[in-house]
Amino acid sequence: MRKIVLLTIVAVTSAVIFSPLAFSARKTIIKIGINAPLTGDIPKVGECTKYAAMLWLEDIKRAGGLKVGNKNYEVELVIEDNESKAESAVKANTKMITQDDVLAIIGPQASKQAVPAGGVANKYKTVMISPWSTNPDTTLDRPFVFRGCFLDPFQGQVMANFITDEFGFTTAAVLYDVASDYPRGLAQVFKKIWEKKHGPDSIVAYESFTTKDTDFSSQLTKIVRSGAQVLFTPQYYNEVPLIVKQAKELGWKAPIAGSDSWGSPETVKLCGKDCYGLYFSSHYAAAGAKGATKTFIDRYKKAYDYIPDDVAALTWDALHLVQQAIQDTGKITGRIGKDRIAVRDALAQIKNFSGITGKMTFTQEGDPIKCAVIVKIDNKGEYGFYKSICP
Amino acid sequence: MELIKKFKHLFSNISLLGWLIGTLAAVVIEYYWGYDYISYYLGLPKIPVLFGTLIMLKNPIMIPSALAYDIIVYLIPILLTAGVSCNFANFLAGLFEKLPLGLSVLIHLIFFYAILHLWAGINDYRILIIKLTLISIILTVSVNVINGYQGEFSCSHPGFMALGAYTSSIITLVLFVNDKIFGTPLLPESIGPWLFPFALLGGGIAAAIGSLLVAIPSFRTRGDYLAIISLAFMFIIKSAVENLHIIGGARGMGGHPDYAPLPIIFAWTMLCIWVVHNFVTSIFGKALNTVRDDEAASEAMTIKTRKTKVTAFMFGAFWAGIAGGLFAHVLAYINPSMFSINRLAEILAMVYFGGLNSIVGSIVGAVSINVLGEALRPLELFKWIIIPLILIFVMIFRPYGLISFKEIDAKRLLRAKNKNNQGIKDKRGV
Repeated sequence: MRKIVLLTIVAVTSAVIFSPLAFSARKTIIKIGINAPLTGDIPKVGECTKYAAMLWLEDIKRAGGLKVGNKNYEVELVIEDNESKAESAVKANTKMITQDDVLAIIGPQASKQAVPAGGVANKYKTVMISPWSTNPDTTLDRPFVFRGCFLDPFQGQVMANFITDEFGFTTAAVLYDVASDYPRGLAQVFKKIWEKKHGPDSIVAYESFTTKDTDFSSQLTKIVRSGAQVLFTPQYYNEVPLIVKQAKELGWKAPIAGSDSWGSPETVKLCGKDCYGLYFSSHYAAAGAKGATKTFIDRYKKAYDYIPDDVAALTWDALHLVQQAIQDTGKITGRIGKDRIAVRDALAQIKNFSGITGKMTFTQEGDPIKCAVIVKIDNKGEYGFYKSICP
Repeated sequence: MELIKKFKHLFSNISLLGWLIGTLAAVVIEYYWGYDYISYYLGLPKIPVLFGTLIMLKNPIMIPSALAYDIIVYLIPILLTAGVSCNFANFLAGLFEKLPLGLSVLIHLIFFYAILHLWAGINDYRILIIKLTLISIILTVSVNVINGYQGEFSCSHPGFMALGAYTSSIITLVLFVNDKIFGTPLLPESIGPWLFPFALLGGGIAAAIGSLLVAIPSFRTRGDYLAIISLAFMFIIKSAVENLHIIGGARGMGGHPDYAPLPIIFAWTMLCIWVVHNFVTSIFGKALNTVRDDEAASEAMTIKTRKTKVTAFMFGAFWAGIAGGLFAHVLAYINPSMFSINRLAEILAMVYFGGLNSIVGSIVGAVSINVLGEALRPLELFKWIIIPLILIFVMIFRPYGLISFKEIDAKRLLRAKNKNNQGIKDKRGV
C-alpha cells in the first residue's frame, strides 16, 4: 500500500515538474478554426483548404502576429477534419467553438456539411464563413454565417446567358447527378432560365444519373440523338472526364459547358486533351491572372507544386475577410463571447472587399455580391480567363 | 504481477455504488477546480476534453501535463474516495439489495446520470459526443437483435434509421415548427417537447413497417439472400428520399427544434437496453436463439419460426427508427446520403467489435468505436488506419467480438461486496 501511494506521488510530481508548460500563464491567442474534409469523398478539397490556410498563417507569422488596435496577437490555426460527413462537421465545429475557443471558423466547404455546421456556429454566436457552399440554407436566417462564393441561381444564369450570347445556340442538353444536391440544383436553375430565354422545348434532353455511376453511354446516346447544340453538365472533377470522353466516343462534337465544380486541377489531369477548349463558370481563372491573384498562385505553386483551384482561392479570401474583420474591431477584449460578436458586426460592415476572386460586399443574408468568371480550358490544359460576368 | 494482484485485492470489496461515489468525487473536483486551478497550474489551455487524448496527439509537449491532469483529477480521487467510502457504500448497497431490483437499478441509473451530466456539463463538445454515443448504443443493440440473436446478416439498418429519422422529422416539422418546407405549424410550439416521444414512436413504427418489406420476401431464405435483399432495401430508401423533393430530396431537411437534450436521449437509451434485454431473455428470445442455431429442430419443437423471425426483425427495425429520430433531432439536419453504405459499415463495425449476442458487448462496441473515433481525431488520415487495424485484430483473436454471448446480471452487478471472506470461500470452493 505504501509503495503504491509513494509511486503515485512520485509519478504526479515528476509529471508536473517535467511538464514544460507548468505554471505558465494563459495568453490571449487569436485562434481561427478550419473545418475541412481532409478524409472522405473529396480529400483534394480539404487539402486545398488546408494549404491555403497554412500560406495565410505564414504571412501572419512573418508579420509578427496579427495587429489589432495597437497590439500584436499571436495567431493559431485549429484544423479539424470533418471526414466529409455531416455529423462529423457538427462535432468539429462544436469542438472548435467550445473547447478551442476559436474566434471564427472557415469551412466546411461542401453544403452537406456546411448547412448543419452553420447551425452550430449560429447557435454559439461564432462567425463562420463557408468559402464554397452554394446551398441557400447555409446562411439563411443565420446572422453569424457567411459564405465566400456566389449562389447557384446566379451561376446558372451566367452560364445560360454566356452560351446564348457567345454562340447564339437555342437548344441545349443537360446531364446531371440526381442524387447530389449541388448538380441537381444548378441543372434546375439552368433549365428554368434557358427555357425562359428560348421557349419551353429548348432543353431537348434533360438526363440524370446517380452518384458513383461511371457509365453514361445510355444518357449520352439520347443527348447526341436529341441534336442539342450544347451540353451543360455541372459535375465534379471525378465525373467530368468520364462524361466528356464518353460523349466524344459517341460522336458528340458540340461544346460542353460546366460550372465551378470543374475547377479542380484534377479535371484536366484526368481528362487530358478531350477537355481542351471547353468552358465553365468559376470564381477565378488561374492562367493569365494578374496582381494579388498571380502572387497567390505563384506562391501556392512553389510551396505545393500544383496550381491552386477555386477552393484554395476562396479559402484565401475568406481568411482575409476574417482578418480584416478582426482588425476592424479595433480591440480584442479576451472575452471570447464579446469578441466573436464584434467580429461578426465588423464582417457584416465590410464593403467592396477586394479579394483574389473579385470584389465582394455581403448582403443582409451574408451572401456576397461578386462577379463570375468564364474559364476556357486552353490548348495547354490551363484554366484561362475568358470573360467576366457581373450581376 | 504481484502488484496487480495486490491492487486487485485492495479494491475487490468496493461495490458498484462505491465506484460511482468515487467517480462523483472526481467529477465534482473537475467541476469546481478543473479550469481555475488544476489545468491552470499544469499549463493546459483548458480542461482536457477527452481525458487529454486530443491535446496529447496534437501537441506531444502537452503529454506530461495531460497525464498529470488525468491522475490528479480522475485516478487519485476515484481510487481514494472509492476506497474510503467503501464501508459506507457497501452499507448503502446492502440496503438497496432489500429493495425491488427495478427500483435499485433506477436509483443507480439516476446516480450515474447525475455524474454524466456534471462531467458533460463542462463542455458542449462532451455533451454532443455523449449524445451521439448513446444513439449509437441504441443502434448497435438493435442491430444485435437481428445480426446477433437472430443470426441473420441484415444490411438495411441505415434504411430503417432513415425511415425513422424522416418520419419523426416530418411529424415535428409539420406540427410544431414554422419551417421552409411545410410552412406554419399546426399545433402550438410549446407542447412540442411533450409530444416528441410520439413523433419518435411514429418513426419507430414506420421503420418496423418498412422492415416487413424486407422480411416477407426474404425470410423464406437464409444467409446471403437476406444480406442482398436488405442491402437493396437500404438503397431503395436512399434513392426514394433523394427523389422526393417534397421532403427536401438530396438537399436534405433542416430546422429541427431542439427536442433531444441529454436526459431525453439517456432515458431512451436506457429504455431501449431494458426492453431489448427483457426481449432477448424472454421465452421468445430463447426461441429466437434456437431458430438461429437450427431452424428445422426448432420447428419440430413447435416454435413458429417464421413469426419469431419476422417479429424480431421488426423489433430491431423499430429501435433503429427511434435512433434515427433522435439522430435527426440532435443534428437538426438530415439528408439521404447520411444513411448510406458508410453508416452501415459504422454500425456493423460497432456490433462485431463489441460482440454478438450480448447487450454489454453492443454497449462496449458502440462506446469504444465512438470514443476512439473522437479521441484519434487529430491523426486525420491515420485514424482510418488505426481503427480498422484494431478491428482486424479483434476479429483475429476474438472472432465473436470483445464480449459476446454474455447477458447483464443486474443483481450481481449491484450487490454489496462487504462479504469479503465469503468471496474467498467461494474461490476456494471452486
